[in-house]
Amino acid sequence: MNWSPILLSIQVTFFATIGILIVGLALALILARVNFRGKVVVQVLTNLPLVLPPSVVGYYLLILLGRAGPFARWFDWNLLFTWQAAVVAAIVVALPLMVQSSKAALESIDPTLENAARTLGASELEIIWRVTLPLARRGILAGLVLGSARALGEFGATLMVAGNIPGRTQTAPLAIYDAVQSGRFVEANVLVAMLTLLSFLSLLVVNRVYPRAEARRDV
Amino acid sequence: MFSVHIEKQLGNFRLRAHLEIGAQVLVLFGASGAGKSLTLNCIAGLVTPERGQIRLGERVLFDRAARVNVPTRARRIGYVFQNYALFPHLTVRENIAFGIRRAPDARPRVEELLALVGLAPFAARYPAQLSGGQQQRVALARALAPRPELLLLDEPFSALDAPTRMQLRHELLSVQRELKIPMVFVTHDLGEAYFLADQLAAIERGEILQIDAPGQVLRYPRALPVARAVGVKNILPGAIVARDESGCRVRVGGSVLDAPPHPFDVGARVNVCVRPERITLLRPERAGQSSVENLLSGEIVREMSDGANVTLYFRARAARLRADADYDLQIELPVYIYERLALARQRVWQVSLRKDAIHLIA
Repeated sequence: MNWSPILLSIQVTFFATIGILIVGLALALILARVNFRGKVVVQVLTNLPLVLPPSVVGYYLLILLGRAGPFARWFDWNLLFTWQAAVVAAIVVALPLMVQSSKAALESIDPTLENAARTLGASELEIIWRVTLPLARRGILAGLVLGSARALGEFGATLMVAGNIPGRTQTAPLAIYDAVQSGRFVEANVLVAMLTLLSFLSLLVVNRVYPRAEARRDV
Repeated sequence: MFSVHIEKQLGNFRLRAHLEIGAQVLVLFGASGAGKSLTLNCIAGLVTPERGQIRLGERVLFDRAARVNVPTRARRIGYVFQNYALFPHLTVRENIAFGIRRAPDARPRVEELLALVGLAPFAARYPAQLSGGQQQRVALARALAPRPELLLLDEPFSALDAPTRMQLRHELLSVQRELKIPMVFVTHDLGEAYFLADQLAAIERGEILQIDAPGQVLRYPRALPVARAVGVKNILPGAIVARDESGCRVRVGGSVLDAPPHPFDVGARVNVCVRPERITLLRPERAGQSSVENLLSGEIVREMSDGANVTLYFRARAARLRADADYDLQIELPVYIYERLALARQRVWQVSLRKDAIHLIA
C-alpha cells in the first residue's frame, strides 16, 4: 500500500484551508460590508467555480499559473505540475463555499451591535475582531469545514494544473482514479473508505456548528 | 452645556434639529418616523449631517463649515438602544467592560457599575439568560462605563412591561441626578416624556416644534400638531370677535367663549385648545351663578373608561361648538369621581370651560 497520495492530500488540504480562510474571509468581509462598483461581478466570479466544469476552471488556472501567466512573468513562479498548483486549484474551487457561508453569517449580524461598539470607543478593526468575527464564527467555521472537505476531494482542476505524478502531485482522488484504471481495487477501496470517512466527519462538524434557529439565543 | 444645530436630508425626509441643554434630561417626544432616532444618530456620529454644528462642553464634535467631524468612538457619548444591543457572545461583566478594557481602573469600575444597576449576582450570565429589564440595566451600565459626557437613550424602555418600565425610569433619574450629565431621551410615550423631562422637545416630521418645561408644553402647546400629540383632546376652530387687556372673546360654533389675553387680532382664525381634564362639571341646579365662566349646558352622549379614568363625550344642547361630530367636548375624570357624581345615572350637566383652561393657537 502506497500512503503518499493520502499524505499529499492532507498536505494540500492543510495549506488550501489556510488559503481559504484568509482569502475567503477577506472576500466575505468586503462583500458583506463594503459597497463598490462592480460588486455583483466580484460576487458572481467568486461563485463561478461552483457551476463551471472543473476542467474549465483548470484550464483558466493553467493559463494563469503557466509560463505566460502573470505569476511566472512577474514573480518567476512556475507552479505548474507542482503540489502548490494543487493547493491553488483547491482554494479556487472551495472558495465559493467559504465565502457564501461566511458572508451570510456576517450579513445576519445586527448592525446596531457594531454601532454600540463604536459608541463604546472601539476602532473599526477592533469591532471586526471583537464583535463581527465572534458573532459570525459559526458560519465562518461551517464554511471553512465545507471548503476543506471540498478541497480534499478536488479532482478535475487539480489534474489539469498539477498533473497526476505519483509521489509528487498525485493526491488521493487522483490515485483512486489510477488504481481503478489499472485494476488495483484493494488500494482503491482503502482510499475510497478513507475519503468517505473524512467527508462524513466534516459534514458532521458542519451540522454541529451551523447556526441553528435557537443557537442565536443560547450562545 | 450641549448644543445641536444640524440639518440632515434623507430621501424626502428633512431633519432640522436645534437643541441646547445643560446637565438635564431633554426628552425628544414624537411619533415614530418623526426623526427622533435620526437626531440621536447624528449626535452620536453614526450619521453625518449636511449642515450645522454639534458642541459638547468645550469640544466641537461636528462643524460642517470648519470640516470637523469627530468619529463616534472619540465623542465620549453613551448610547442606550431600544433593543438593548448587548453583545450576545459576552457575559454581563464583559459587556460592561467592553468600552473600558484599557482603563487602569477597569476592574473596580465594572464592579461599581454592576452594583449600581443591581446586577452583581448576574455578572457571569449571558444576555440571553436575563429578563428585558435586566438586559436594559446592563446596557445602561455598559454605556456609563467609559464615563460619557452625554447619554443618549432611544426608547430604551418601550419593550418592557409597565412595572419594570416605571422602575427603570426612577433608576434612570437617580443615575442622572448623581452623574449630572446631559441626557437626551427619545420616546413616543407622553407619560414617560412628562415624567423624565426637564425639557420636553416635541418633534414632528423632522422639525422640533417646541421646547419647554413639560408642564408648559402640555398646557400651552404652540402648534396644532403639538397640541394633538400632548393629549389636547378638544381642539375647536374659532375666530376672535373681541379683545382687550383682560382677554379676548372667541366665537366657536354657536357659542362665544371668554379666553385669556392672546396676541391675535379681531377676526383672526384660531384653534381653541381645552385639555379634557380641565373642564368643570356643574350640577344643573347650580346654574345661574354669574361667576361661572363659559357655561354650557347639555348631556353626556357616550363614555369610555380604561379602568382608572373615564372619558365623557359631552354634547351642548343649544349652542353647539362643533359641527363635525356628535359631541362637542371630551371630558376626562377619574373613575372615583365618576362614581361619586353618579354620572352613570345623571346624564344632563352643565360644564364650565374656565378661562384659564382655554389656550389659543393659530
